[in-house]
Amino acid sequence: MKRFVHINAKTVEEAVSCLNRYGGKGSLIAGGTDLLGKMKDMILPNYPEALINLKTIPGLDYIDEKDGLFTIGALTRLQDIADHPALKDRCYALAEAARRTASPHLREMGTLAGNICQDIRCWYYRNENNRFPCLRKGGGRCYAIDGDNRYHSIFGGSVKKGCYAVHPSDTAPALIALNAKIITSKRSIKAEDFFKVGVKTTTILDSDEIVTGIQIRKPENGSKSAFLKFAIRKSIDFPLVNAAACISSAGGKVTAARICLNAVYVKPYRAVKAEDAIIGKAITEENAAAAGEAAVVEADPLPHNAYMVQIAKTLVIRTLLACRE
Amino acid sequence: MTDNPNKNSKYLCPYCSTQYQTFDDLKTHILKDHKNEPIPAPEGMIAMTINGGSYSLRAEPELTLYDLIHDRLGLIGSKQFCDRGACGSCTVIMEGRAILSCMALAVECDGKQIETIEGIAEAEHPLIESYAKHHAMQCGYCTPGFVVTAKALIDKNPAPADNEIREALAGNLCRCGTYPQHPVAILEAAVEKRKFPEGKKRSLKPTEDADKLSFEAVKQDALDKLKGGE
Amino acid sequence: MGSEEQTRMEEMFDNLRADKYPLKEYTYIGKRIPRRIDGVVKAAGQAVYTMDVQLPGMLHMRFLTSPYPHAKIKNMDTGKAEKLPGVRTVLRYDDPEIPEFAPISGHTPTADEPPLPRIAHFQGEEVGAAVAADTETIAEQALTLIKTDWEERPFNLDTEAAPLQDTAIANLEMYPDSNHINEGLLDVLELGDVEKGFAEADKIFEFKSFRRLHTWVGPERPCGVIKWNGDCIEAWVKQQRPHIAKRVISKWFGGIPMNQIQVHCLSQGASFGGWSQTNWNMGGHYCAAVIARRTGRPVKWTFNRREDFYGGSMDEGAYFYKVGAKEDGTITAVWGDSILSNQIYPVFNPLKHLVENTRIPNIYCKHKVVMINKGPTVPTRCEQNSAAHAFTMIFDHVAGELGLDPTEVALKNDGADGHDMDWLNQQKAKRGFEVRDSLRECVEKGKAAIGWDEKWHPPGEKKLANGRMHGLGFTWTHEWDDSAGSSEMAIRIERNDGTATILGMGCDNGVDAESSYCQVAADELGMRLEDVHYNPQFDPGYFRMTPDSSTNMSINGFAVRHAARILKKKILEVATTPVGKSQRGEFPPAFPDAGPEELNIKDSVIFLKADPEKKMPLSELVGASFNSGPLVDPEALGVRTPFTVPLFAFGYHTQTGTYQPNQPRPRFCRQGHFMEVEVDTDTGQIIVTRVVNTNDVGKVINRASCEGQQYGGTYMGVGRGISEEVIYDPVTGVMLNGNLLDYKIATILDSGPIDTILIESGMGYGPYGVVGIGEDIATLIPTLLGPAVYNAIGVRINDFPITPDKILTALGKV
Repeated sequence: MKRFVHINAKTVEEAVSCLNRYGGKGSLIAGGTDLLGKMKDMILPNYPEALINLKTIPGLDYIDEKDGLFTIGALTRLQDIADHPALKDRCYALAEAARRTASPHLREMGTLAGNICQDIRCWYYRNENNRFPCLRKGGGRCYAIDGDNRYHSIFGGSVKKGCYAVHPSDTAPALIALNAKIITSKRSIKAEDFFKVGVKTTTILDSDEIVTGIQIRKPENGSKSAFLKFAIRKSIDFPLVNAAACISSAGGKVTAARICLNAVYVKPYRAVKAEDAIIGKAITEENAAAAGEAAVVEADPLPHNAYMVQIAKTLVIRTLLACRE
Repeated sequence: MTDNPNKNSKYLCPYCSTQYQTFDDLKTHILKDHKNEPIPAPEGMIAMTINGGSYSLRAEPELTLYDLIHDRLGLIGSKQFCDRGACGSCTVIMEGRAILSCMALAVECDGKQIETIEGIAEAEHPLIESYAKHHAMQCGYCTPGFVVTAKALIDKNPAPADNEIREALAGNLCRCGTYPQHPVAILEAAVEKRKFPEGKKRSLKPTEDADKLSFEAVKQDALDKLKGGE
Repeated sequence: MGSEEQTRMEEMFDNLRADKYPLKEYTYIGKRIPRRIDGVVKAAGQAVYTMDVQLPGMLHMRFLTSPYPHAKIKNMDTGKAEKLPGVRTVLRYDDPEIPEFAPISGHTPTADEPPLPRIAHFQGEEVGAAVAADTETIAEQALTLIKTDWEERPFNLDTEAAPLQDTAIANLEMYPDSNHINEGLLDVLELGDVEKGFAEADKIFEFKSFRRLHTWVGPERPCGVIKWNGDCIEAWVKQQRPHIAKRVISKWFGGIPMNQIQVHCLSQGASFGGWSQTNWNMGGHYCAAVIARRTGRPVKWTFNRREDFYGGSMDEGAYFYKVGAKEDGTITAVWGDSILSNQIYPVFNPLKHLVENTRIPNIYCKHKVVMINKGPTVPTRCEQNSAAHAFTMIFDHVAGELGLDPTEVALKNDGADGHDMDWLNQQKAKRGFEVRDSLRECVEKGKAAIGWDEKWHPPGEKKLANGRMHGLGFTWTHEWDDSAGSSEMAIRIERNDGTATILGMGCDNGVDAESSYCQVAADELGMRLEDVHYNPQFDPGYFRMTPDSSTNMSINGFAVRHAARILKKKILEVATTPVGKSQRGEFPPAFPDAGPEELNIKDSVIFLKADPEKKMPLSELVGASFNSGPLVDPEALGVRTPFTVPLFAFGYHTQTGTYQPNQPRPRFCRQGHFMEVEVDTDTGQIIVTRVVNTNDVGKVINRASCEGQQYGGTYMGVGRGISEEVIYDPVTGVMLNGNLLDYKIATILDSGPIDTILIESGMGYGPYGVVGIGEDIATLIPTLLGPAVYNAIGVRINDFPITPDKILTALGKV
């Protein structure tokens, strides 16, 4: 890796001040498992001049439950989320998403905030030595469109209608399904509004804004959540498709539904049409199948990834069925 | 703490990295905000405990923990296979967690307790012998990473079940495909560890019968032994 | 000539028959041993690999790699790189020290190649420049500062289309006329008359299969260290054949005498053939040697992880088949054609196994090798991948087309060289083997273990309660361990404690061959296993076939056995002969009234056969060595302690294997593999729930090591079958997944339980009847996914790896 300045931030304010000082050339590091891989592969045209370490900020590694509200510190390791009894009980989709992320070692290192702030997954974007200066790096074209796009977006592109790289987070769809709020140094953002595709960005965070925690309103009784991941291998793998759902039911009928897919689009893809299809109905095989169809009604796959549509549909159906009472 | 937009500031606070235009400003700031803190270590100096020994080292920011322990300290048991956090060969235990040393910056391990394969072997952990006995290796390149991962598992879960062992090892890649031999070796070591928590000197010439090899057989044997011993 | 010597000579020139001189009883051979010889050192992280080597003042060297799949360097400016602090030197393709061609192939003698080429024939190829710097990081930064002016050339990546592409010639330098490089050279395999065979068939069908590029992924990256000691050269190599590396080095720089070359071959982070068999694989060492001379410093060169991904297995490409069979499953004719890419050994015909172990009388197979702009394809555990692929495809298609049980089709066609089992059994008897039906034993044991008869069903008919489709698959072929080769091993009885040291070439690839040699020596010498140790000679003065040169025990086992038998005779002679003759007299023998033939050794103790109470441990026989060594011991005069004869013996063996066309040895040992899968037809996911391996290894030496090969081969095979594929961008020719996240080898969770059934028919040509096991399982299992998935979903997928997209497409769900 190239030389950089390393700063151990001791407070969030200090980290913010460092971000400002390096004006876009500073990068935050928490678990580091995504950032260091990118730096080792030299995938970007420019390197961070400074890494600002958040792990030295005390009080950001916790899981708290108070007045029906879970608050999870930004630095909480994924493994701790996966193992947390109350989260497993009440926010199953999140605990399960954390459990299925990457590998045991990476879950001991990776943080929840890092997982949702991680960069996109695309083998052109991530090719060594900036071999493909693509749209997301400010370049002129997306190489996946004419190339091998078997793992790319099935719901169209973004950034000048071009980039088809997917967002690979496992926890992001769970947080969106659970209607979580992302707490930053500046504000509180609904999880589904958090992700934004732009040149060099994957979130709506300002350049000097830091995620400090995540809040989840404890789902009411009568609601259930689920998370399913489909990957080529059973561990050490990013999702080929994943899906999370949180369903509230009363009297055998769905009263509220939030369903989110990921790794199928440039950002987490909330399957609103699937939600509409299931609300007011019982979760039966038939109704779930209809919701699955609705989830992918807008799919517009590339030449090599039409199969992902079928998998996405299946995962939506299965997460819904897993939420049956 | 104030944000200073002037990037050419000369005076950097050694405690919190805030920058000041003049030396006097910095002095005022230190006396005000950091008066009671100990003098910070020189930049790049880190202290850590590795296998029970204290180390004080200089580390460049880009140095990974793997680089530090393997290249600088000569603890060569940690191996680099993927170099991208995907294989587990460089696993060390940091503060009780099995982590990947290739994806940790050395400077960020300041003040941490670290355990490497060398420490595990030195402490006569029964995993070493059970791995040798059950052939849980071929070329051996990834093996220390498995042993370290297993040690962290046994520390947390002294009586792991087969599926718990498999889940714990799911981040370790072995190209030789020795996987099925690991749960047996780990189970047996876990039992030994419960019997001899302080470790047991390995005999230089093993003569013990190694015929009980299936996971179930080792488990049964272990249960019998435990019943007798406890 | 002593009788042992005679025996050795006989065996040496006559290994076309059963072992004439096996042992009557085995103490350690065939058993699980208490501890692998390298077990503690590897588990404790003490094993040293070439990647771990650091020497004082050592420089780190990295190569420039080509960003294009086919390009020539027009100009190169290395000025900026040279000026980067920490850079010690930059080696360029046009430097006077770099010859146009040099001997740099460390596995098999091949034509000389450019050590630092100017032209890249695949993206990622090492070309043009190498930087040596104080650290690897600095060397890598310097590489980014080299300005290269490239002349891009047309390239092709498509194996099937390559022969037709005359505008995109992949390698203009070596094959300027066509991408089809083996026309008329070792390209046809022919047996009988296929037209006649098709005329006899009840059913004829044609199909096609594909194997996409997969690769070796050695955990330790390609690397090496070179140091000059005056005019002598010292090299640390990660090589499967270190003796070849030494020979290659001796040809460099106008010639270096062999006795001025020291080669260290440390533990190797596996290579499975793979990169260490590519033609250029000593190129890194060559350039490092040049830089080491230029700078006066030791130089370590390394590839990064990605650079190890270029190249792959020799089975990449397309296969075409036409098969004729009778209703009862008897295959009457097979016609084949194939187009496989970038082979540097174009000799392994895809239908070879049909000749070697079936009775099919009529076989014809064309075998086209074409050049494409990807890395070289080499034996990658192993060169039989294409043959095993075709074999499995053909047999399962026959069973499927005729609606027969595939195990029945296998048994129906077992044989060799177009002959049936009667002929084969005659051959077994003629060569002195017990006549056993190896395949039937494999099939019966394997079927029982997996519950075949209860579970077998027609394709696509069994849906499980969990909604997935259940599939069973079977494949088989012969066992192999049959390369030509030779081996030299010595055993020494140590002074003071009488333990035995086996001296042989150090080349540890992980298969625990060294423990096996100890087992053989212990049983042959009558010693306790713990008293025998293998001492690897890091400088390959002695030669042995290394375990992953396809041949181990069948050659090395003989060599160590010869040494042990000669040594045992020596020991017993010493025990019955006066020793230590000097002016002061001589010492009486340990067993004064006995002849050597009246003694034997058991548990490291020599005893009189007629009266086992008369005994002496080996440690006592050899005695202690004092100040002046073992020969002179004034203090102990009058006591029998010293002896004068060094107890040392040397054994060697050569073999001409089946690959030598003039020395045919029909293969008698078979292997059968059974796989159970569940297929999720809504996602295309395959879950391998159980694999049963039945391997007739002839005779087990090191049981846990055999099982290790069965486990490991299964996992490697499953990965290859369901996920392993090296993917190139079709537009730019750039590799897309050269890392362990995107190139997916199997994790521990990717296979269900694996059965390891070992059958000992004794029908191998090696010592005690052994035959190999290391290569065959990883070679057969990948294509076994095909039959298993077909049985689950009832639709054929002949394109490997079988990924979810292919399953969903086959099911009409895309």
